[in-house]
Amino acid sequence: MLIREVTVRNRAGIHTRPASMIVREGSRFKSEFFIRKDGYEINGKSIIGVMTLAAEQGATLELLLDGPDENEAADALEAVFERGFGEPI
Amino acid sequence: MRTPEPFQKESVSIAFVVEKMRKRVGVEMEQCNTVDIEKRFVTDVNLHRPGVALAGFTALFTHHRMQIFGNTECRFLMHMGEDERQSAFAKLLEYDLPCIVLTDDNTLPDLLLVAAETRGVPVFRTPVPTTAFMYRMRDLLEDQFAPQLTLHGSLVDVYGIGLLITGPSGIGKSEVALDLVERGHRLVADDVVIASKKAEGVLIGSGTELAQHFMEVRGLGIVDVRAMFGVRAIRHQKRIEVIVRMHLWDESEEYTRIEMVDETEPVLEVDLPLVKLPIIPGKNVTVICEVIAMNHLLRHYGYNPAEVFKQRLSDQINSGNGPGRPRRGIEWFEHDFE
Repeated sequence: MLIREVTVRNRAGIHTRPASMIVREGSRFKSEFFIRKDGYEINGKSIIGVMTLAAEQGATLELLLDGPDENEAADALEAVFERGFGEPI
Repeated sequence: MRTPEPFQKESVSIAFVVEKMRKRVGVEMEQCNTVDIEKRFVTDVNLHRPGVALAGFTALFTHHRMQIFGNTECRFLMHMGEDERQSAFAKLLEYDLPCIVLTDDNTLPDLLLVAAETRGVPVFRTPVPTTAFMYRMRDLLEDQFAPQLTLHGSLVDVYGIGLLITGPSGIGKSEVALDLVERGHRLVADDVVIASKKAEGVLIGSGTELAQHFMEVRGLGIVDVRAMFGVRAIRHQKRIEVIVRMHLWDESEEYTRIEMVDETEPVLEVDLPLVKLPIIPGKNVTVICEVIAMNHLLRHYGYNPAEVFKQRLSDQINSGNGPGRPRRGIEWFEHDFE
């Protein structure tokens, strides 16, 4: 299992569109995918789960990945966060 | 499958506690001095009656707990002389107390209330007797400080049994939950279930504040179960009693054929019966969920179908007069041509 720390960069935070981007990206991989914020942890392949994080700009999240393709998945997900979901930063 | 780590609240504001006590259990707590209770916090689930501390022994004073002044404490203070009383109370106030509650309609002299105020300690008065008050306050604090855990799955009340439907993403948990709601059962939460350990062996599940009774159905999007099916289709919380784990059929795994439940899974140290449900074409998972709930109910009433069947079988084997071929369920039903 590996853990990566990421920051929400876009101004609007993780609203519905970024949430579905995260879920879509995470679901491409076989690895189990969880996101942790303030000790609260949800399944990263569930859109309702990701949205309940209600993560605002600047929030730090931990991505937890566990499975055969965890490295690729972590890199891909990190890139999604790095781009700020293609939204204004 | 990995289970997330448990979390729990570290503190609760006194303002929150007072509001819940008033609104939810009808216990009035009247504030006797003017301390900002939004900024005062309680961090411990236990309560403390500081009788011994008032008498001067503070070596084991659990000052971080909510302090309850019942008849004993108040009478004890009043039987002292004025100076003695103030120094005994001041000694208590050397510690950072979350708050003081005077139960059973007790009061304290104004001087003491002011002393508490200068130290930033709110004092409350309630007409409720000490033991009754402590019981209700404990119930609230136990709930607030209970260990919690997020579970990925759907929680549905099926015939009064809380079924937690889990399984990998995309296997159709939400669809089963929706189907159960359509058949008249009640949804507690979909996707994110927050389990809290209410008491030893009791796990209560509820949804999150944000997503309560909303559901994502793949291919459709987000649906609101309450808006569509009405209040009869939902509930706020439910004790989690059985875990139903859906998974794709695996040739190599040996499935239960006789006992419905023979495995348990610990969640927050509560052992819950676990039913592993393989998904195969033509299998109506909803009906199976109803059967799981009904079977659990039957067991509650002391009826275990697997045991009963085993007994019938061994009775027949041991009777010695069993026929070579199986007999009909009813040997002769006269003049019945239907």
